[in-house]
Amino acid sequence: MSSSPLPARGKSEPALVVFGKRGNLDLLLAVDAQAERLGLRAGLALAQARAMHPALAAVPEDAGADARLLTAVADWCQRYTPLVATDPPDGILLDIGGCAHLFGGEERLRADLLARMMRFGFSARAAIAATIGAAWAMARFGDATDAGQASRIFPSRRSRPPAAGDETSNHPASPRSERERLAPLPLAALRLPDETVAALVRLGLKRIGDVVELPRAPLAARFGADLLRQLDRALGREDEPLTPRLPVAPYVAEKRFHEPIAREEDVLATVERLATRLAAALAARGAGARRLELALFRTDGVVKRIAAGTSRPLRDPQAVRALFVERLAALGDEVDPGFGFDLARLCVLNAESCPDEQIGLNGHEERADLDRLVDRLSARLGRRRVARLVAHDSHNPELAAQALPAQAMAQAELGWDTFRRFRAQADLSPRPLRLLARPEPIEDVFALVPDGPPVRFRWRRALHEVVAAEGPERIEGAWWCENGGPARDYFRVEDRAGLRFWLFRAGLYRETATPRWFLHGMYA
Amino acid sequence: MAATGRPDFACSGGRTAARIDRLRRELWTLETASSRASDDSLTVPLGTPAVDGTLGGGLGGGALHEIAAAAEAATAAATGFALMLAARRISPSCPGGSCGDAGTIGMPRPGSNLVWIAEDFSLAENGAPHGPALDSLGIAPERVITVAAARGQDVLWAMEEALRCRGVGAVIGELRPRGIDRVATRRLALAAAAGGTLGLVLRTAPDAAPSAAATRWIIGAAPSSPSSGGEADELHGVGPPRVVAHLVRNRRGHLGAWILEWNSVEQRFELATDSEPVAGTAFDRSHRAAAG
Repeated sequence: MSSSPLPARGKSEPALVVFGKRGNLDLLLAVDAQAERLGLRAGLALAQARAMHPALAAVPEDAGADARLLTAVADWCQRYTPLVATDPPDGILLDIGGCAHLFGGEERLRADLLARMMRFGFSARAAIAATIGAAWAMARFGDATDAGQASRIFPSRRSRPPAAGDETSNHPASPRSERERLAPLPLAALRLPDETVAALVRLGLKRIGDVVELPRAPLAARFGADLLRQLDRALGREDEPLTPRLPVAPYVAEKRFHEPIAREEDVLATVERLATRLAAALAARGAGARRLELALFRTDGVVKRIAAGTSRPLRDPQAVRALFVERLAALGDEVDPGFGFDLARLCVLNAESCPDEQIGLNGHEERADLDRLVDRLSARLGRRRVARLVAHDSHNPELAAQALPAQAMAQAELGWDTFRRFRAQADLSPRPLRLLARPEPIEDVFALVPDGPPVRFRWRRALHEVVAAEGPERIEGAWWCENGGPARDYFRVEDRAGLRFWLFRAGLYRETATPRWFLHGMYA
Repeated sequence: MAATGRPDFACSGGRTAARIDRLRRELWTLETASSRASDDSLTVPLGTPAVDGTLGGGLGGGALHEIAAAAEAATAAATGFALMLAARRISPSCPGGSCGDAGTIGMPRPGSNLVWIAEDFSLAENGAPHGPALDSLGIAPERVITVAAARGQDVLWAMEEALRCRGVGAVIGELRPRGIDRVATRRLALAAAAGGTLGLVLRTAPDAAPSAAATRWIIGAAPSSPSSGGEADELHGVGPPRVVAHLVRNRRGHLGAWILEWNSVEQRFELATDSEPVAGTAFDRSHRAAAG
C-alpha cells in the first residue's frame, strides 16, 4: 500500500520518498517513516514536498522492478500454499484453505509469514478472511486485530512494501462475521473507482456499513452494478475465483529443513526421497511423470526452479535423481545455494498414464535404455537440442524432413513409412546427405543451355567446374499462399574433384531474365 | 567389529599381495571379456575382401575410429563414409532399411540406433543430416537421434553417454580439428568397448595428434563413374557415391588406400576398379610429412 512507510534509515539521512507521474503531475507514491514524521503523505505533489523540505531524497518509481519484486515475493509465498496470485500493484493473495493446519493454524501461519517478511525487510500487512474482497479490505484498512502488521525494524532496503492479503476459502478467521468486520471500514476498501467513492461520500455514505443496509435497486441505478458486485464479493454473496500465478501441479512432495542444505549431494538425496514419495502417489493412479519441477526455496527468499522432462512416463526415483544430476550439472553455478535451502519441493507438472513395467523383453529394455539416454542428454543440453528426424508431407525439401525434440516424439509416428511409400511411387531423385538449413546463393553461374544445369559456379569463394549433372527435378513453390516462393529446378551435379552438390535455380528461366542460383546440400 | 578388520589389513604383506593378485586377475578377466566381445561378435566388415583383409576381418565394432575429411570441402564425403560404416553396423542384414518389424518403432533390433552428435557451428556450416538421404543409404531415419551441442565439450560428453547406451549401435560425433586430446579419445574408446558400440569421430580436417582410436581414416571425394553413357564433351550423369579412403593408422594391421564405391542395394562397399590410380588424385599429405 502506498501509504505504508518505506524502510526506516539512519536518523542523519534525509527523508526518502518515491515519486511518479500521475496525469501531468509528479506525485509522491511512497514515503518512509522519517518523511511521514515530517508531515509528508503519499499523493502530495513532489514540487510541494520539495518546497516544504528541500533536503528531501526523491527517487523516481520503477514500475517494472516493483512488478518483478511482487512476483518474486509471490513465488516465495508458494511455501505456504500452491494457490498464490498477485494483486498488482502491491498485493498478494493466498488461498490457504486446507493448508493452514500445516503451520499450526491460520493465526500462526499469518504470524510466520509476517515475521519472515519483516526479516526480509518488508513492511507488510496481512489479513485472513473468507473472501478475497474482505481480506483485501482488512489488510489495507483494518485495525491491528484484523490486519497483523510487521513494519518496524528494517535493514536498509529501498523497495515499496507490498501488503499481503490472505484469504481462506471457508473458515472465517475470527468469530465475528465478515459483515461486522467490514462495516466500520471506509468505502475505498471495496476496490471501487475513486469517482464512485467520492460520489458516495458526497451523499454522506462513508463506511461500508452505511451502504450494506440500503435498498439495492436504487444503489445500482445510481452508482452502477459495480458497487453491488464488489459489495457482494466482499460479503461472500458472489463467488470470486482466485487465479493462481503458476499452474497447480497434480503431484507435489516437499521437505522442510530446520538446518538449510547447500551441498549438491544433499539436494540430490532430497530429490530421491521426494521422488520416492511421488512414486507411491503416481503408482496408486497408474501414472508417470513426463515433466518434473524442483523448487528450491533459499533462506533469503529466492526461489530456484529447475525443470526436467522425460521421454516416457517415469516413476523410478533413481531415474528422477539421474535427471536432476544432469540438470544441476548443466546449470552449474546458476544454482547458487547462498546460505542454503530451507524448503525443497518436487512437483509433477505433467503426468501421463503409465502401464506397469514389462520386464524381460529385450527390445523393450533397449528401448527404455535409449529413452533414458535421450532424457539425460535433454536434461543436460536442453530438450530442443536432442532431436528425432520426422518426415512431413511436403514437397518443399526444407519442410520434408525436420528435427523435432526427441522427448516429445518418443511415442509419435515419425512418418517415414508414408515417406517410403511416396518415394516408391513418385520416383524422387536422390536427396543430399547433408542439407543446409538455408540455401546459399552461388555466383558466377554459367549454363550452356538456358534451362540446363550450370557448367561452372562459385560457392564460398571456390570455383567448381561441373563434369556430371542430373536434372532438373522441378519442385513447385507453394503457389497457394502469398510468399510460397518461386518454382525451383533442382540439379544434382558433380565437379572435377568429385564433390557432389544439390543446386537449384529459383524461378523458371522464361520468367526471370537473370535467374538466381542456390546451393542446398551436399552428397557423399 | 573394527578390530577384526584392522589386523587383516595390517598383519601380513602376503595376504595383501594375494588380494591384489586376485583383483588383478579379476580385472584381466573383465578386460579380456570386453575386448573379446569387441573382437568377434561386433566386428563390422566393410564387405570388400581387400579392405577387410587389411583390417583383420573388419572394423572393431566396440571401438573408436577416426574419420577425417581430406579437406573441408570433402566433409560430405567423410560424412557419407561414416554413415555407410554405421549402416553396416546397425543394419548389416537389412537391405533398403525397411524390413519386417525391425523397421517399426516399437521393437528396434538390438543396438540398432544411431546417434549423431555435432556442434551448432558444424551443422550450420556443413548442413544437417537429411532424413530421406539416410533412408536411401540404408539407415532408417526412425532410428536416428541427432544432438546439436553448443560446445565441443558437450559433444564429447554426449558421445560418451551414447557409447555406453545398450540401445545404441553406432555413434557419430563431429569434432573440430583440435577439439579432442588423447585423454578424451581414451575415454571414448573405453566407453565404446564397454557398450559394444561403434564410435566414429568425424573431423573436417586431418589431424596428426596421437589418439586412442583403433583406426584412422582420411576420406576424400572421388569422381563417380559415369552412370549413363554420353558423348565426350557432354555432361554425363552422376554415379553412385564414391570416396578415396586412406587408412593412415591401424592398430591391428597394415595401412592402405582404396577408392570405394557404396553399393546401396547390397549395402556394402566395393572397390572401384575402373577409376584412375589412387596416387593420381590430388591429396594433401602435409600431416604425414609432419608425423613422419
